[in-house]
Amino acid sequence: MIVVKDLRKTFKLSRQQKRELKNTPGVRADGTVDAVAGISFTCQPGRIFSLIGPNGAGKTTALRMIATLLKPTSGSIEVAGIDAVKHPQDVRRRLGFLTGTTKLYDRLTPNEIVKYYADLHGMEKSVFEKRKDELFTLLDMNDFAKRRIGKLSTGMRQKVSIVRTIIHDPEIVVFDEPTVGLDVITAKNIIDLIRRCKQEGKTVIFSTHIMGEVSLLSDDTAIIHKGKLIFCGAYSEFAHQMQGRSIEEEFIRLIEGAPR
Amino acid sequence: MKTTFTVFKKELVDSLRDRRTLVAMVFVPLVLFPILISISSSMLISHEKKAEKRTLRIGLVTNGNAADFREMISARGDVRLTEGITAGEGRALVRADSLDAVFVFDPAFDEQVAALDAGKVSMYHKSTENAAIERRRARGLLDEFEKKLREKRFESLDLDLSIIETVDMGDENLASTKERLAEQIGGLLPYLIIIFCFTGSMYPAIDLAAGEKERGTLETLLTSPAGRMEILLGKFGVVGLTGILTALVSILGMYIGIRQSPEIPTEVLNAILGMLEFGSIVLLLSLLLPLAMFFAGILLSLSFFAKSFKEAQSIITPLMIFIIVPAFIGLMPGMSLNSTTALIPILNVTLATKAIIAGTIDPGMFVEVYVSLIVLAGLSLWVCRWVFGREGTIFRGV
Repeated sequence: MIVVKDLRKTFKLSRQQKRELKNTPGVRADGTVDAVAGISFTCQPGRIFSLIGPNGAGKTTALRMIATLLKPTSGSIEVAGIDAVKHPQDVRRRLGFLTGTTKLYDRLTPNEIVKYYADLHGMEKSVFEKRKDELFTLLDMNDFAKRRIGKLSTGMRQKVSIVRTIIHDPEIVVFDEPTVGLDVITAKNIIDLIRRCKQEGKTVIFSTHIMGEVSLLSDDTAIIHKGKLIFCGAYSEFAHQMQGRSIEEEFIRLIEGAPR
Repeated sequence: MKTTFTVFKKELVDSLRDRRTLVAMVFVPLVLFPILISISSSMLISHEKKAEKRTLRIGLVTNGNAADFREMISARGDVRLTEGITAGEGRALVRADSLDAVFVFDPAFDEQVAALDAGKVSMYHKSTENAAIERRRARGLLDEFEKKLREKRFESLDLDLSIIETVDMGDENLASTKERLAEQIGGLLPYLIIIFCFTGSMYPAIDLAAGEKERGTLETLLTSPAGRMEILLGKFGVVGLTGILTALVSILGMYIGIRQSPEIPTEVLNAILGMLEFGSIVLLLSLLLPLAMFFAGILLSLSFFAKSFKEAQSIITPLMIFIIVPAFIGLMPGMSLNSTTALIPILNVTLATKAIIAGTIDPGMFVEVYVSLIVLAGLSLWVCRWVFGREGTIFRGV
């Protein structure tokens, strides 16, 4: 489970950014801006939580704080019952993180990369071997397990990324725009993975701005805009109160109607 | 510790598979370097041989004097004589490199000699580094003539030539060949080792920090349970190790290059190889270790700060000047290790290595150099930890 309470992340702008963003709403006189401005939500185990919003809304910053890559300015995050600010390493032991921009080491093979992350997670050899065999077979990866990443296609690489993310069987899985820039077939692998995680009872949170994925996967949804949540609840609730003809239209309506 | 070793192992494999690291670490010091040594020493020796064997072009303006000298050099097979020129023409011909030297005898030369005075003669030459051998050979002709005149003069005065010796001085240089060579070329060894240590660390440092950041693999690594310090130490170890390995490979390359160089005098060869003896290498290595760590800390800090591989390259490459200059100052004659120079990074390594090679290292100074290097290495790691711990740096441009 992930419990986020009143989460805020304030960034200090560089001199150039201050010049460029002068008089922009949200930018304070002291040159600071809230990327995430006091958001709260809960992601339940066995359910998929989608965080949607336009570019620059604060999705990645929020997910990076959950994954303990960034420290919140204020607020709290609890991941699997652990305080993410006080015990970041313990949180990372229970978490898998996959982003669409994640790249792999070109000079290593899938076998080596997966083993590397298993070692970093302190997995026992026998447990690792069993889990690796299972995942490699499931994703049909045995044929290219010993080839260097640099020689693999985008689809093959994405499969390696998937295995790398879940090799340690994490309770919590965070996906930050995982299908961005991928072709339909490769994106399907990710969609299948997200569903599989749900079936296994994991807590899943994913960010996207592809509305089709939201309707396909979400149990719970939050819409983030300019660092604030303008909707947070069950997806069924969102679909029920929709005034637009499609999710896209409803999304745009909510964004445009949000206070500036 | 286990996690640090896991990171270290992976980074080492990754780096050793990088062509750029391999070129800097193996190809340049082990292949290119010996070839360069071999070619340059062959060229130097062949230039010297040519200069020794070449027919000397001598201009002679005797003004009707020094017939014996004319006869003496005419009889030599290695001298081509140009006569019938004036002193001014002789000067012009030397300047134009048409002659190696011109001897101009005073019109009263013979009379001066007959009157037991010193006969006046001028030698015009162009004394540049390239023409040093020719100048020595031309001067040798005059010395030979002077010797003959002296013998003749002593004979006419019925004197024994030995009375000219008023002091029988025994001159014995107690400096060993090793010491003399350490002074002359001993500085070159640390100079090269320092440069190779730095260039060897450069590519892994750029690749493992800025490169990882640019490729997006660093973010993934940071989501693993590995602590920042554990990750940093793994990378730090690999960068330091590649620096040390490159320096060691360069010593091996130098050894191969010297061994393959033709006609290096045995005495010089033995002295140079003596510099590379086990004890010196162990002491050198002990200095190299904190130096490589110091380099690793600086390089990784700058590389983490950069947004991309390219930016890291453009930040780090100019840094070479701060490595080359102090290393070069250490090559200068008269520079030696003292309590001040022992604290100046890089210069202290050059000077300490020179002293190690010469076998004159003062243990107190060695400890001072060593402690200052360890402090600097620790400081650079601390800076690196600070840079790596900053969110703004790690996610700069990501």
